[in-house]
Amino acid sequence: MIKFEINGRSVSVGADPETPLLWAIRDEIGLTGTKFGCGIGMCGACTVHVGGRATRSCITALVDVEGTKITTIEGLDDQANHPVQEAWRNLRVPQCGYCQSGQIMQAAALLQDIPAPTDDDIDAVMTGNLCRCMTYPRIRQAVREAATAMTGAQENG
Amino acid sequence: MLKNIFLGALAIGVTGAIGFGVYAYKSPIAAITSDQHAEFDPELVEKGRVLASAGYCATCHTASDGEPYAGNYAMQTSFGTLYSTNLTPAMETGIGSYSVEAFRRAMHEGVDRDGRHLFPAFPYDHFTKMTDEDVDAIYAYIMTEVAPIETVQKPNELPFPLDQRFLQAGWKLLFADLGRFEPDSDHSDAWNRGAYLAEGLTHCGACHTPRNALGAEKTSEQYAGADIDKWSAPALTAANASSVPWTASEFKSYLVKGTTNYHGVAAGPMGPVVHEGVRDLPEGDLDALAIYLADKVGATEDDPAQSEVVLASLRKNQPDPQYRRDLGERLYATACASCHYNTALISQGRPDLGINSATNLETPNNLIHVILDGMNAPEGIAGVVMPGFRGALSDTEITAIAAYLRDNRAGQPAWPNLAKTVADLRASGPAVH
Amino acid sequence: MGNKLLSRMTNSAKPSDLTRRGFLVSTTAAGVAFGFPRASSAAMDPAAPDGIPLESVGETFEPTLWYWIDSEGQVNVNIIRAEMGQHVGTAIARILADELEVAWEDVNITHVDSAEKWGTMVTGGSWSVWQSWPVYRQAGAAGRTALIEAAAELWGVDPADCTARDGVVTDGTNTITYAELVSAGLSRSFTEEEIKALPLKPHSELRLVGKDVTALDIENKINGKAIYGLDAKVDGMVYGVPMLPPTRLGSSVTSVDDSAAKGMNGYLQTLTLDDPSGTVPGWVVVLGETLMAAKWASQVIKVEWAAGETAGVTEAEINDHSRALIADETAGAILATETPDTTSAFSSAANVIEAEYTTQTVLHFQLEPVNATVFQNEDGIWEIHTGNQWQSLILPTLSTALDVPAERITMRSYMLGGGFGRRLNGDYTVPAALASKALGGKPVKLVFFREDDAQFDSPRSPSVQKLRMAFDTDNAVVGMEHHAAAGWPTGVVVPSFMPKGVNGEPYDPFAIDGADHWYSVGAHRVRALSNDLANKTFRPGWLRSVGPGWTNFAVESFMDEAAHQVEADPLDFRLQHLKAEGYNAGSAPNAVGGAARQAAVLRKVADMSGYGTAELPADTAIGIATTFGQARSMPTWTAGAVQVHIDRETGEIDVQKMWLAFDCGTVVDPDSALAQCEGAALWGLSIALYEGTKIENGNVADRNLGSYTPLRMIDTPEMEIAFVESTEVPVGLGEPGTTVIAPAIANAIYNATGARMRSLPIRPDIILAALNA
Repeated sequence: MIKFEINGRSVSVGADPETPLLWAIRDEIGLTGTKFGCGIGMCGACTVHVGGRATRSCITALVDVEGTKITTIEGLDDQANHPVQEAWRNLRVPQCGYCQSGQIMQAAALLQDIPAPTDDDIDAVMTGNLCRCMTYPRIRQAVREAATAMTGAQENG
Repeated sequence: MLKNIFLGALAIGVTGAIGFGVYAYKSPIAAITSDQHAEFDPELVEKGRVLASAGYCATCHTASDGEPYAGNYAMQTSFGTLYSTNLTPAMETGIGSYSVEAFRRAMHEGVDRDGRHLFPAFPYDHFTKMTDEDVDAIYAYIMTEVAPIETVQKPNELPFPLDQRFLQAGWKLLFADLGRFEPDSDHSDAWNRGAYLAEGLTHCGACHTPRNALGAEKTSEQYAGADIDKWSAPALTAANASSVPWTASEFKSYLVKGTTNYHGVAAGPMGPVVHEGVRDLPEGDLDALAIYLADKVGATEDDPAQSEVVLASLRKNQPDPQYRRDLGERLYATACASCHYNTALISQGRPDLGINSATNLETPNNLIHVILDGMNAPEGIAGVVMPGFRGALSDTEITAIAAYLRDNRAGQPAWPNLAKTVADLRASGPAVH
Repeated sequence: MGNKLLSRMTNSAKPSDLTRRGFLVSTTAAGVAFGFPRASSAAMDPAAPDGIPLESVGETFEPTLWYWIDSEGQVNVNIIRAEMGQHVGTAIARILADELEVAWEDVNITHVDSAEKWGTMVTGGSWSVWQSWPVYRQAGAAGRTALIEAAAELWGVDPADCTARDGVVTDGTNTITYAELVSAGLSRSFTEEEIKALPLKPHSELRLVGKDVTALDIENKINGKAIYGLDAKVDGMVYGVPMLPPTRLGSSVTSVDDSAAKGMNGYLQTLTLDDPSGTVPGWVVVLGETLMAAKWASQVIKVEWAAGETAGVTEAEINDHSRALIADETAGAILATETPDTTSAFSSAANVIEAEYTTQTVLHFQLEPVNATVFQNEDGIWEIHTGNQWQSLILPTLSTALDVPAERITMRSYMLGGGFGRRLNGDYTVPAALASKALGGKPVKLVFFREDDAQFDSPRSPSVQKLRMAFDTDNAVVGMEHHAAAGWPTGVVVPSFMPKGVNGEPYDPFAIDGADHWYSVGAHRVRALSNDLANKTFRPGWLRSVGPGWTNFAVESFMDEAAHQVEADPLDFRLQHLKAEGYNAGSAPNAVGGAARQAAVLRKVADMSGYGTAELPADTAIGIATTFGQARSMPTWTAGAVQVHIDRETGEIDVQKMWLAFDCGTVVDPDSALAQCEGAALWGLSIALYEGTKIENGNVADRNLGSYTPLRMIDTPEMEIAFVESTEVPVGLGEPGTTVIAPAIANAIYNATGARMRSLPIRPDIILAALNA
């Protein structure tokens, strides 16, 4: 049994230790907000946070995350009001929406590390997340707006 | 292998038969019974726990599917495979029958309770430097806190005559400098404390010092770097290949958190060294180790954040819209950059791959291992993982990424036979965590 | 052409049958039982946290089957279209709610499961809003009319003195809510004639259509709750992965050896599928208790096949065959253009130019790989849980595969993680159904890992096109020919849908639309050729923008080439030939204004971009292109301009900015419209420069992102998009933006460097070779 915390809750998963974390999250634990797109870590749809850091769960083995703290899209904010999600809402970023959990998780991690990103910074970090509907212009704008909201909040709070 | 056998036989000849026999004989020390196990002061036990951690005894004395300290951890050496012994207080197959004197002798002289010489895969040539008090504390910890587990000891797989323990005495005579640590008055107390720890308990040289054909550390090349388990233990001397010089604060960060700003993270065999061990030392000891290592490496005090090397690496890591021009560059931009990119300052958790040790060492092994198998939670930064790309990228793709990083980011000459190295490392199987 | 195709589909629509019978009225039961027991949950209301549609409370009023209002004034609109990011449910609901005069916050939508009464269920062709516009307006008007009449009767006044607004009817003195009217019991039915005669609101009174709104599916796509086919959960389901044969058609299994898998934890069994429908010949499905158990087992199971005859086919062979077809004057269908006979125009021409254009195979690569979960429920109904764009098309095939009448099969509605035309072709449901059938109806979730999804794609066929233009002694255009050869998606999947050309030969409109442009070029011969080698090697697919996506690469590149031939400015040359007269005058309701509206968007994009007037540095230029979107019968007037810079040393192309102008008639949901155009334009860019694979050994060569490289964030240029204000009927927007980008880029490269690109994708090494030639 592999034990870890997911969205603040302790879980114990009995799947094969080599099971990709993605399928443990989706099929064993039942949280389907994290998606499967390519299976080789190159589309970002599977992005979750492990130890607070954005991680491609489709190529992370369950056994490797023993004892860690994991956050999925469902747990990013219990009201879905993380500033990134707010910005996504305001700009109506999603089209088909399938990549957006991964995009949001990656953007949230980006802004933790780089609170005031330039467009180059956004390109560098977000280019690993594919959006087949190509909502990139709105994603970019939403990241900028979330950054402003978050740095503003920091300054004020 | 044959060469080693031959040289081993030569060692016998060199030491001479009779005098050697006298030297080699060690008398057994009486066993103690479980009633005779002492009650130890909790403070001593805790001290022992920290020291046992810092010496990461459990790492070599625990099999991958085994109980802590119960031994049978396989060590591949050029002489054959050895299996570590059961260090739990189990009476039959562990060290439950060891008195503190027997334990001390094992640590200081490499001789077990029965008087048999231990193979220097057990680095008693380092532990010999430890004070009695420290050795006793570890004894107290083991006897009190470690659960006794009876095991079946796997026999070592060494060819004759290397499996003859009494011949280890010869090795000892030739190569081991037994005896407690002697401070060097030319250096500060902190340096000496660091030296005491590094050369003794944490036995850094056991991996970072190259060995001769008979497996002994070459004392004249202390910390000059060595290959271990198909990983490279980099030089901790001025010959260190990192493009950004190590500093005491980098060492400290590495040993405490398993991560640094300018040198990557503690991966592979270094993962447990940090996370199962050294990081639990008191802060003063960690500072001491950092000071000692910084001296060995010839560190400067300069903060590398604004150094040209770092700034150049940051410039080179800027995204390029023409990233599709090269396979390695494109794969890096789409599979790696999201985690490895830095903007103006390199942050821990975003290891810059241009200045990373892995792209600057003479061999690509460390880099390829990590690309293939990533890092699990106890490696690198604790609780953080890097996924492995073993199933995601082909040999051609991994080779392209490695070549791109080596050339474009580290600015180093190409690794020869890189494609073959990648294929060989993949075939040698996943790194055992 | 498009008209005929559509009319064949809409004629079979049940709604008109129902209104002819004077269907419906109120029901007293809570909720309307549409038939199938819900043995599992499926996603239908994209705004509900668990996907479960709104249940009605108390009495309901349902003047047509497109919606009901309940006793609390809640409105549920039934949507037969698939939601794949175009926010179609919201647009349709807005259309209806506007006419119905309800408050938007009272409106909910349900994406319905398949059922005969809905008529044809298809989402594609950029048709949804255009087709729904009259239907849902009328449906809304029917409700409004009935509610006003009921209120008027209650008060003893003339309905003409009453107005309805935000779910409330008033005569100036009395007011009553829709909820109250419905609670009191409301029955009113309409004949088809009555519905069509109902007054619709003038444009000036539209309060929802054309106004800003947040689409109803967006919230759940931000919090992880949206439910896609891959998320389907059915108690007791087992997982399956396919093992694909070496060829699409004609392979058969000769042996299966699963001995290496037998000891593996969770491995269940391997099925060799028996497929009466012929959709998946030679398929094997590996089953496991978990997905990875099935996947790992499949990696050690040994299957041998006798390969079909296309096992060695290459893209080069397919293209050579296209060329041979083009060279064969007797082959193909001739479209009914104004003057299809170009013989004398060309024989008497002073000058003739011609050019060949090619495009590579393109994958759909929708981010949610295809999948389906199938089982037979306790009432014996086969439930197909998946996202799909054309339920009506696959149901007969499933019926054959499962050997049950189609009424015994229902397709449950889910959100689509990308359609783009891949999910028009529901073939991926067949192996899931067959696997479940082999287990006696037990639930099987069949998941295609990406490589399998790519191998089983219905890719956009590679194409070869030859264009010719004839000029007289005054350099006036007197004739044009367009010969296009490719695999035919409709030809393979729905051959009965193909209209006939003037020579009696059938043709696939989705493989030639775009060639029948609105320029006045004198005699105009458009010949569509079906590449049968392509058709039997893979299943050619409908891929976002379909025919116009590649025919326009040729047409709009060629228009520039023709302009340069006669030393005319490409913008002026086009405008000269966009004459809204005769054949190109356009018609109501769909193509009012004809070529004049195309000319207008072209001028608009030229203004926006500064084409012809902007001062640009060396090796930098703007290129333009204009199309009519998807079909002459439903034109979306589109124009695009792209500014590029070429690095002469490396051939590398820097796309600096893109401008697009659209005249799509009425814009129903402005923000979603903009989003669709952004996405479509970037699709066009991706296919122009970054995407392409090849058929190799009878299969697509690139199957994952290691080597298939669609557009990413960093590849995204600045864009400016504008809509022409219009009150004409709304036409489609999902695809048109794609059609102008590739030719605009080719024209820009020519303008910047003199190098003419005639194949897609355009890559730096090809540009460099052309520069150095």
